[in-house]
Amino acid sequence: MEASFLAAVNVSILAMAVIFTVLVILIFTIQVLVKLIPYEAPPPAPPRNQTAAPASGDHDDHVAAITATLAMHMGKSPNEFRIVNISQR
Amino acid sequence: MEFSFGASASKILNTTGFSSLEGGDVIMLLVACLLLYLAVWKKFEPLLLLPIGFGCLLANIPMSMMASTDAGGLLNFFYQGVKHEVLPPLVFLGVGALTDFGPLLANPATLLLGAAAQVGVYATLIGAVLLGFNMHEASAIGIIGGADGPTSIFIASKLAPHLLAPIAVAAYSYMSLVPLIQPPIMKLLTTEKERKIKMKQLKPISKTVKILFPVVVTIVCCLMLPGVTPLLGMLMLGNLFRESGVTARLHETAETHLINIVTIFLALAVGSSMTADSFLRVETLKIIVLGLLAFSIATAGGVLFGKLMCKMTGGRVNPLIGSAGVSAVPMAARVSQKVGADTDPSNFLLMHAMGPNVAGVIGSAVAAGVFISLFGDTTPIDQHAAIADVIGTVEPGIKAAIAQVAGAIHH
Repeated sequence: MEASFLAAVNVSILAMAVIFTVLVILIFTIQVLVKLIPYEAPPPAPPRNQTAAPASGDHDDHVAAITATLAMHMGKSPNEFRIVNISQR
Repeated sequence: MEFSFGASASKILNTTGFSSLEGGDVIMLLVACLLLYLAVWKKFEPLLLLPIGFGCLLANIPMSMMASTDAGGLLNFFYQGVKHEVLPPLVFLGVGALTDFGPLLANPATLLLGAAAQVGVYATLIGAVLLGFNMHEASAIGIIGGADGPTSIFIASKLAPHLLAPIAVAAYSYMSLVPLIQPPIMKLLTTEKERKIKMKQLKPISKTVKILFPVVVTIVCCLMLPGVTPLLGMLMLGNLFRESGVTARLHETAETHLINIVTIFLALAVGSSMTADSFLRVETLKIIVLGLLAFSIATAGGVLFGKLMCKMTGGRVNPLIGSAGVSAVPMAARVSQKVGADTDPSNFLLMHAMGPNVAGVIGSAVAAGVFISLFGDTTPIDQHAAIADVIGTVEPGIKAAIAQVAGAIHH
């Protein structure tokens, strides 16, 4: 039993040493990799397309119609707010 | 042919399972029901305990031919996957496809926590030897402390196949009990001040490093410990499927359908090995006690090493992440997060704990590799002998003829 116990202790010490050695080698390898190949942020995503203003005079009519609808919906006067931008969803 | 009603009825009665039911079978049927209860109603690792429990149920129905030892039976075929070490590596393929090694790559020092937690494996090995197990058996029992089911099954089937059933059940049962076993140990070994430590945000990692990592780990670890190649190689292949970005279909299959199918086969095969002969022994009780010891010491080892890292880094490491080094992904990391948040709700340790958690998977695989190097048979298997094991004994004459044909094809 004593011999088995000593063998188990020896195996345990040896095995822990091997595990730490393998993982320390991995740590250094990862550090080298991370240093050699640094992270590069991906290019920023292009801004969302905004609806271009129509060339015709329809734009003012659209704004007027939306303003009137919103005013009625919110129960406010059309002078109390102003539509500054219409963007495409 | 003469037909007598009485004789036929007697024959039918004699061929029912009831006629051969023994006390051991009844106890094992109750054990199976207990496993099913724990899986369904207590939600203890249900994906594994449910098929294990049902496999146990099937295996203990007399004359059903469903035990792992019943040659020609259905579950005997599934068991060949365990015996020939096919199924655990395939589970690892799926685990690799599911695992993000990013947190580990961002803080590679956490690999040491995965190594420190393996102390549970070796303390249990010593305990098992003291309880009278031989070194092969003690190694298979000790690996329960790695908190990794497939690794436990892999080592048990290689070093102590007669103990496979209790080892697998103990490993999966304790893995499901991680949220109950770990917190008291973590709180006992850390101060409130240490638990409140907030860790710096992890730096992002390049995609190329993530792709190179599985290749590098395979080369480094498998060259040092070739015995671990089936497990670690499959883990890293699964991860390469994930990170390469060019094998989306293989990645998806590995992380969903493949791992699910293999889990069914593996768990049923393990369950089928739970017969009265193999399970109702004093050794089973010893293994269950040693398994708890393994988990507890592994947790303590990780936390204590975390404290050491905390001291050495001037308080930049929260020791609670050390407990995640026991593997059991991702439950152990969640426990670190929960215990940290209990002390300070604004402390988010989850991503930091994922580093040692996945390091624990590598650590336990390396620990398994050490056991295989020390006690396993790493000599190449005679091909014909391996075939004979699956398809039956090959006549010497036929064997020579096969060798001749194989030689001719080769030339």
